Amino acid sequence: MEFDTGRSPAIQITPRQRWSIALSYFLIAIGLALGLNQRDASLNMSSVYRNVEAGITASYPARWLLDESGDYVFRVRDMSHRGYQTLIEMRTLPIGPDSAERNFLDHLSLQRAQVLVDYTVLGYDSYRLPDETWAISMSYSFVARDPSPFLEGVSSIVNGLDILTLRRGQALVITFRADSGIYRRELETLRWFIQHLEF
Amino acid sequence: MAQDLSRLASSEAGDSYALLPVWRRISFQVLLLAAVLGAIVVASQIFQPRFSADAGRLLSLALAPLPLLLWLLVSVWPEFRVARPRRRLTGVAVLSGLTASALGLPLTEDFFRIELWLPLAAVIQRVIGYTLTAGMIDVGLKFLVLRYLIYPGALRMRSDAIAYAFASAVGYSFYLNLAYIWRVDPAPDVAAIVVLSNFAIQLASSLFIALGIVESYFSDAIPLVLPMNLFVAALTTGLIRPTVAGLMSGPLGVTGSADRPLFGLLMLLASLVVTLGIVYFLYSNSERREREAYGRRGVNDGI
Repeated sequence: MEFDTGRSPAIQITPRQRWSIALSYFLIAIGLALGLNQRDASLNMSSVYRNVEAGITASYPARWLLDESGDYVFRVRDMSHRGYQTLIEMRTLPIGPDSAERNFLDHLSLQRAQVLVDYTVLGYDSYRLPDETWAISMSYSFVARDPSPFLEGVSSIVNGLDILTLRRGQALVITFRADSGIYRRELETLRWFIQHLEF
Repeated sequence: MAQDLSRLASSEAGDSYALLPVWRRISFQVLLLAAVLGAIVVASQIFQPRFSADAGRLLSLALAPLPLLLWLLVSVWPEFRVARPRRRLTGVAVLSGLTASALGLPLTEDFFRIELWLPLAAVIQRVIGYTLTAGMIDVGLKFLVLRYLIYPGALRMRSDAIAYAFASAVGYSFYLNLAYIWRVDPAPDVAAIVVLSNFAIQLASSLFIALGIVESYFSDAIPLVLPMNLFVAALTTGLIRPTVAGLMSGPLGVTGSADRPLFGLLMLLASLVVTLGIVYFLYSNSERREREAYGRRGVNDGI
């Protein structure tokens, strides 16, 4: 069977049709650009947290859930994420005159080793804060299980990072945790968070 | 059933127009697909059957290619029995599926990451968001496929554009269905809703793309008509997708939030009927205008 176009194969599209095709591409490009803009606006929308007592002002993603009920100053969590939900937590600890930063991190490690499954410290490093001062950081990993025994969820490996700095007679610890699969991507959020942190 | 299909394949209309009629076949496929998938959803609600994990997965996976198989049987196979077949139907479907796999889904999920921010947005924002992201991606890719495979080389009559656009909807939605069911492993009734939902969304947008191509190519309409149709095509995604998801989510109670698949099913059926009705009306209107303009009588464009 021959392919019968019913029209002359030499037929060309008219200038008007050429324009309509060009405008269609333009519309799609503009539409996608607007979609990108809307995505960025939604993902980068932030809320401000202020705690006069602790002297902390922080911006955090507006979609994240704020919690002040624990033994920390505040914690924000990405509840929209499936599996382990990325979190940023801030706590302040009183310090003595001879306290070293490393002691606080070791203390945290001892506490966590008792409550977190397969808690492992991966290493220590220094972290440059926006005001050009240096803080100490500790990276670690552990296995997170669903707290509900009725949900047959698969455990996930979580990577964490503590950033500790000593200021005004107290130690400020910023804790960041995310599923190991998205940890690198989520680090951008932590950097953005620290960039907008006032302490 | 087999007799119906064979009657459709060798109908009088099919024999007399050397081109295979399109609208009746599309309506038949939509009707049959909605009936089968709707019956699965309703039966699941009434009888609440329990499947083993393997049987449930197998049944769900079997639903993914249902629109494709139906299309091959009702639209593609009879093409080999007419004098002037539409030879690029399978090519359009395959390429549409491949673009969905290579670009459509990765762009929607990994680049725009719509599941992260759109479901939580307000209603209007959700409609605009889905239109400008998933809608524009789907429409853009399907338009590119149609533009380079059939426009204008394979367009002999208006119905060709509809047939090829339907092929692109089938191919594109097949990959979306397969990817979702393979990854999420939903229960068969949820899989049925997903298959019908993807099919309805892609069909609606493809038909509006076809309408734009028809107006642009056959009526030589002003240059804004095609882009406007593409925008409406993207808007259908923006309207149907969040509405179905919203209707299916039940109210939050003390025992959690229950799904309401029947609401979603009704919404999808309504959107299929409304889309087909609107596009068919505009298509017939445009065809009638051309017939009047050229003073041709008795010419039926493969309806």
